[in-house]
Amino acid sequence: MNKLKILSKSIWVFHFASAACNNCDIEILDVLTPRFDVERFGVKLVGSIKHADAMLVSGMMNRKGAEFLKDLYDQAPKPLAVIAFGSCASSMGMFKVSYNRVIPVDEIIPVTAYIPGCPPRPEAIIDGVVKVVKKLRGEI
Amino acid sequence: MVNKVKDILKGKIIKWEEKSSKRHYIEIDKKDLRSAAELLFRKLELRFCIATGLDNVKNMEVLYHFSDDKTGVVYSLRVFTDRDKGQIPSIADIIKGATWIEREMRELLGIEFTGAADTSRLLLDPTWPEGVYPLRKDYEYGRKEPRGEDSCRRPNIKIEELTKNGKKTKIIPIGPYHPLQEEPEFFELMVQGEKVIDLNINLGYNHRGIEKIAEGKHWDQVTFLVERICGICSCSHPYAYVNAVEDLLGLEIPLRAKYVRTVIAELERVHSHLLWLGLAGHFLGYNTVWMWAWKYRETVLDLCEQISGNRNHYAMMRIGGVRKDIFNSEIDAMKEKTASLVPIFDLFKGAVIDDPVIHARTKNIGVLSKEEAINYCVTGPTARPSGLDQDIRKIDILNGAYQLVEWDVIVCQNGDIFDKTVCRVLEMYESVKIITQCLDKLKGLKEGNIWEEVREIPPGEGIGRYEAPRGEVWHYVRSDGGNTPVRHKIRAPSYMNVLSNELAAVGGDVSDAAITLAAVDPCYCCTERMQAVENGNVKYNWEELLRLSEEKTKRLRGELR
Repeated sequence: MNKLKILSKSIWVFHFASAACNNCDIEILDVLTPRFDVERFGVKLVGSIKHADAMLVSGMMNRKGAEFLKDLYDQAPKPLAVIAFGSCASSMGMFKVSYNRVIPVDEIIPVTAYIPGCPPRPEAIIDGVVKVVKKLRGEI
Repeated sequence: MVNKVKDILKGKIIKWEEKSSKRHYIEIDKKDLRSAAELLFRKLELRFCIATGLDNVKNMEVLYHFSDDKTGVVYSLRVFTDRDKGQIPSIADIIKGATWIEREMRELLGIEFTGAADTSRLLLDPTWPEGVYPLRKDYEYGRKEPRGEDSCRRPNIKIEELTKNGKKTKIIPIGPYHPLQEEPEFFELMVQGEKVIDLNINLGYNHRGIEKIAEGKHWDQVTFLVERICGICSCSHPYAYVNAVEDLLGLEIPLRAKYVRTVIAELERVHSHLLWLGLAGHFLGYNTVWMWAWKYRETVLDLCEQISGNRNHYAMMRIGGVRKDIFNSEIDAMKEKTASLVPIFDLFKGAVIDDPVIHARTKNIGVLSKEEAINYCVTGPTARPSGLDQDIRKIDILNGAYQLVEWDVIVCQNGDIFDKTVCRVLEMYESVKIITQCLDKLKGLKEGNIWEEVREIPPGEGIGRYEAPRGEVWHYVRSDGGNTPVRHKIRAPSYMNVLSNELAAVGGDVSDAAITLAAVDPCYCCTERMQAVENGNVKYNWEELLRLSEEKTKRLRGELR
């Protein structure tokens, strides 16, 4: 049986914000509130990586944050879906010339899905989550 | 006031440069800096805004900006020092609000401040090589430093048993991530039992080097860059930036552009305050308030999307005007939508002002007195509840419609969390008032003519300010006539406000810490990953702390019944 399939219901999400501008983070909270309300699908933000099925990474990795990301990934129970959220996390965006940068997220930890956008719209977030679910079920 | 400043600084002035009636640059010798700063700050009661350090290659230059909050005039003290091992006397003991900026200039520009109590790094990590200063001109654009092991580790993460005044003391760290540039927060609460006795604030977890990136971008591109400093102030930063460039140019923009700018900026204020209100409710254990506030925030975001095409990051500002126009045919519908917000504010006002539990949780908690507010140079909705009547919108925005419409500045007196909440709720009413009047006036104007053509930026310097939802945003730009800024200094409001937590949280309970630290309205993502470490073991995580806070609310509710 596809081990990943068990993750595809009620995904609990841990949110890791490295040096983000806050907009991605606010849009993540936004999809939990009444208009979009992803909690009806069982998607929930959790406070500890040890409870999480998926990790959302937003923002550019800076020198103080990158180490934490690696630590958190190591601590997480596997399998874990990692989602690079927003342009900064997907490709470092306009911060690829910053002196405080390190390396992109996908070179630090394996990334399952990318949700591009600055910030991604709530609809794009939900679409991304659906794609992750499909991928976990082995449908794509 | 100008004459007063001239009088009081008599004998110290080397050169007085009057850029415009609101911008004065005063060159003084660095040995006179301390006395001059003290005279301006204490005697004339000017507010210290920020200091800007510049690398002129032949020497180093530091500008200390003081603002007169009654007239909106900015006085900048200019001092020079040597490039290598340059020294400037520290003013942090006179003005508490200068502590961080001195530490920042020391590590990013390599200027030594003699007599400073704290010379540790503020933004860069411990493994950053010594003697490499990223904001100097010889540091290449796009360069990157090798990273050592454990660059993110806090040196004192293993907490030994501490004793203070013969009592056992624990440290509860809150943080470290925070989503705003130059204001990521990592609080270490020192507690004895339930009481917070000291607070240590660490920064740098969110440092992205935007000031350096701006030096490599075209003047027009910088508006998009500064938009990404903060997702919630994503109109205030570009607004302050274009104000700075327009101040450099001495340019006044078309009337229609002024109204459009004001509308989008005020919409941002409403959505930001609603966001804060919801999260404050969440921290106090009123999750319903969170959900409701965020539900109605969507109305505001819809309006923003209708105007700019995006929910956040509006990209409306450009040097000389705005990028997009508001269609006159859509104004009536927009007004209707804006008016529909007022009953919602009534609902929240009732929920805050009439609820005895909220009274018990927020009254006389996290008090910031007027004297302390002045000393810490706080701004915006952190300063106004403490009785300081300062609002940049009233005094120093040439290219906005704030002088053309009727509205009031909300000032409260007690400086506690209750007043901070009331201040924000009442400000939303004022914002709706401003938006409605602007939309009315827009309807009377012809569509089009929304920008002045700006082709070249001449050499010079400019200061732009705007009152963001959290306080004063400060941008300083300098041009040498080229395509990019030579220096772009940015100060976000929380840079000043967060430091005041040192006072507000100390002496309170741990269960009040969540709301006290939140009351200055920093951004919140960091707080979701807050953990308490007690001798290396986790004591409270964020959920636990939230539970403590919610339990206190429940207990109080029971008692009040």
